[in-house]
Amino acid sequence: MKPTGLLFFPAFDWAISPSHPEREERLLYTRDQIFEEGIMDLPQVREYQPRLAEARDIARVHFCVPSIKDIASEAHLVAAGGSLVMADAFAAGEIKNGFAIIRPPGHHAMTVAHGNRGFCNINNEAIMIEYLRRKYGYRRIAIVDTDVHHGDGTQEIYYHDPDVLFISFHQDGRTLYPGSGFVEEMGAPPAVGTTINIPLAPYTTDEGILYVLDRLILPLLEEFKPELVVNSAGQDNHYSDPLANMRFTATGYAELNRRLAPDLAVLEGGYSVETALPYINLALIMAMAGIDSSNMREPDYDPAAFKEDPGNLARLDRIAALQLENFRRREDERAAAIKKGPPFYSTTRQIYYDTDHIRESQQIKQRLCPNCCSYRVIASAAVHAYGQISRALCFSIPLYCCSACREEARDAYRQAVQEGGGADYIYLQDRAADDYRRFDSRGDTEETIN
Amino acid sequence: MHIGIDVGGTSTDGVLLHRGELVQSVKKPSRQEDLAETILAVLDGLLEGRDAGAVRRLVISTTLVTNLLATQKGARTALILVPGRGLPFDFYRIAPDTYFLKGNIDFRGKVTEPVEEAEIERAVADIRARGIGRIAVAAKFSNRNRTVEQEIARAIKRLYPEATVVLGSETANRLNFPRRAVTAYYSAVTAPEWNGFADRIEEALHRRGLKAPVDILKADGGTMPLVLSRENPVETVFSGPAASAMGAVALSRRKENAVVIDIGGTTSDIALLIDGEPLHASGGALINGRLTHINALALRSLALGGDSAVKGESGRVEITAERFGPAACFGGPVATVSDAFACHRGLKLGEAERAREKIAAAAAAAGLEPGPFAAAVVEQALERLGALIQGMFREWENEPAYKVWEIVHRRRFRLDRLYGIGGAAELIVPLLADRLGVPYLVHRLAPVANALGAAVARPTLAVSLYADTQQKRYLVDREGIEGSIDNPEGFRLEEARKTAAQCLARLAAARGAAQYLNDTRVILAEQFNMIRGFSRVGKIFRVDVQIAPGLIDEFEGVAD
Ligand SMILES: [Zn+2]
Ligand SMILES: [Zn+2]
Repeated sequence: MKPTGLLFFPAFDWAISPSHPEREERLLYTRDQIFEEGIMDLPQVREYQPRLAEARDIARVHFCVPSIKDIASEAHLVAAGGSLVMADAFAAGEIKNGFAIIRPPGHHAMTVAHGNRGFCNINNEAIMIEYLRRKYGYRRIAIVDTDVHHGDGTQEIYYHDPDVLFISFHQDGRTLYPGSGFVEEMGAPPAVGTTINIPLAPYTTDEGILYVLDRLILPLLEEFKPELVVNSAGQDNHYSDPLANMRFTATGYAELNRRLAPDLAVLEGGYSVETALPYINLALIMAMAGIDSSNMREPDYDPAAFKEDPGNLARLDRIAALQLENFRRREDERAAAIKKGPPFYSTTRQIYYDTDHIRESQQIKQRLCPNCCSYRVIASAAVHAYGQISRALCFSIPLYCCSACREEARDAYRQAVQEGGGADYIYLQDRAADDYRRFDSRGDTEETIN
Repeated sequence: MHIGIDVGGTSTDGVLLHRGELVQSVKKPSRQEDLAETILAVLDGLLEGRDAGAVRRLVISTTLVTNLLATQKGARTALILVPGRGLPFDFYRIAPDTYFLKGNIDFRGKVTEPVEEAEIERAVADIRARGIGRIAVAAKFSNRNRTVEQEIARAIKRLYPEATVVLGSETANRLNFPRRAVTAYYSAVTAPEWNGFADRIEEALHRRGLKAPVDILKADGGTMPLVLSRENPVETVFSGPAASAMGAVALSRRKENAVVIDIGGTTSDIALLIDGEPLHASGGALINGRLTHINALALRSLALGGDSAVKGESGRVEITAERFGPAACFGGPVATVSDAFACHRGLKLGEAERAREKIAAAAAAAGLEPGPFAAAVVEQALERLGALIQGMFREWENEPAYKVWEIVHRRRFRLDRLYGIGGAAELIVPLLADRLGVPYLVHRLAPVANALGAAVARPTLAVSLYADTQQKRYLVDREGIEGSIDNPEGFRLEEARKTAAQCLARLAAARGAAQYLNDTRVILAEQFNMIRGFSRVGKIFRVDVQIAPGLIDEFEGVAD
């Protein structure tokens, strides 16, 4: 039997600020618990060491404004690189599954990145997935975001991509940051039905989450038949988490992962550093490694402490029925949207960066093509805390783009570079060619990102 | 006069040094069933015609503990464990007589579930009924709180006073409960036999009028006094390779990165020197497939030595793991790796003609001419040794790291020199060095490098301090040292360092290591702010300090 890969990178020398939840102490007790258990010495587990992600790995997913250097610090590159190491080990067949316990986290980071949102600068899962697709040819991927906060960054990155099924359960956005993740967020017309949100009432228990797992998430995966399942593994659904109001336990997390059986799991949030994280992380490692985790529970764990509200289960039944129907209609919806035209689907959006106090507005256009999930153009303007405005124009060509759309997008980029068009920076992200460029209008220079 | 004696698997070497010169060396076959006698015979050989009173220090490196553990002939020992929360208890069935008790300590040292008196009583009664006289006790996170282990020890003392008890928290108190349990267990298992050995040595030395300090070489390349080895004999495991590595350090005395390769009859042992110091295994010594908390050198072995038989078979050249005797050129029955190297290099060694015949015979079986056959053996041997060495470099470069800075500044291994030891080193090392692109040295004293290494190795000592200012206390991983922090607000990393250094000094005094305290090194110093809500409620520190392996001050090197 192959071992479970474990990459533990606690970034003991990195914090957003000394008393911020994302501080050096966050994985200290998890370290103690992992090492005291001797988990790395087991034949069922193999430890891996991170490396630095390269600029092109970031550029494959993000448009960093003004530049990758300004958005992704060394800590971010090591965390992202850690997920890439796990991806390589998995794709090479060295491990049966892998868990990257890394920080800083990433699931609130969106395609265009002007700064830090919800403790995230760059999206570790998306960087890992695009790397896997590029290097190893994976295409159909499912992401299950088990963080208590809506994984709005990951959702946005894959909102237009019908080959990625993004499922997020989280505490209802009306009661928690980032205030999104409602059932009606179902994906852009070319990818409608492959974004599935499951808002949960505060105080939902193990029973409630496992209920929705069995009735909605597992059936969706069964039908979607992904080549790879990724758990965006937040740990802040725990009953002791200081930032949220759920009642999930370490035992529940272990059971969730046992049933979900993700190929790769990447740590996201979770801020109950002393009373939850050591237990959840260990239980999760054991579940992935196929080890009985019933003895890995919180010292104050009481299986009878939390009772699920029957009304909540009924509500979850309704969500499950609705979302299964949305998912099953996706092919028809997509065909209808493309047939109806116009050639471009367009929308606008406002994004707030809570950590860096940036207000961003975006205009998004996606080409509707019968042959591919075509390119996107994002015009972004960000107002920083001190009033400075930066504008970016971004062209994103997906890996599985048809050649006509690809040429059209590259021409549009070239034309924008010639005309300027009011943007400070113009970006090209051509995943099909693995070609990433950034044009600086002020310096009139174009650089290729490697 | 300084004496070093190294017991090996087949023979025991001893050297006597005086004023930096090797004045006597003795080699005797090792009698594994009576190592004390072998050691004393070598000692007598060295002292013949000399005044035992003039010996300044005697260091012994012995395979006693290694053998005891390998043959599982140590004393029957019960293991009482308090695993608490975590893996299923079955993962910790380390000993045939393992007992599990309820109870739990968390990572901050809080007892969240006490042990039950009745359970302890039942276990001890059973151990006693089975006639097991030795008990090792280990609790998970006993490195953060010793009281649970101590409570069990008190109960044993009351219920079964004749039993000898070894506590995990007093043997090896770093993070990693299974390694701690294994270390405590092995310590208890080997102690009776080791103490018998120590008694015999002490008594025999007394009779010979040898009053000098007697030290024992440890797996980490350092020494400890014989009297202290009684508390933790398991630290003497694998001292043989440590002796060889320290021998290379003694013969080079350069602050270089080097590979030390000890090429014996059927195996090659490889150690690394980093800036002139032997590299330690990050995992601790691996004994009978179980990792321990014993500091040991990072070693790699390959079943390939000078006497390894080589053979040809339908176009293929094979270096086997078998030995049928010495090399053909020294009268052996078949062609060996040594013969191939000698033939390939055109060296006249021993009965060169006989070697050529055996090589030719093996070559014919492969359908090759003798020349290309020997070349192919040489190529294969160098390839395998080279790959092993490169693998060790990569492993060192990729040691676990948990800080951004460490990942960004990943180190690269830059090799300066290759040191050869062992019978076949002269033949193989020059070509291996050439392949690695570095100069080499096979010193004239290489054949006794192991005993020399033992003779001049200095004491080593490592201490790990854990401090928690919210709980106003600190603990050290050795001998149950702990203390309180009187001024938690003013206790910063500097104070943690000082406290660790003080503990090291206290322990060093009893180990004859005080003179090396000025060479104390901080291996790790980390601090964490504990934030609850939005304010700091305390700090957690970990500081590791050590006196690293090195040479005794009195040793100033030997001529090349
Ligand atoms: Zn979260
Ligand atoms: Zn197209």
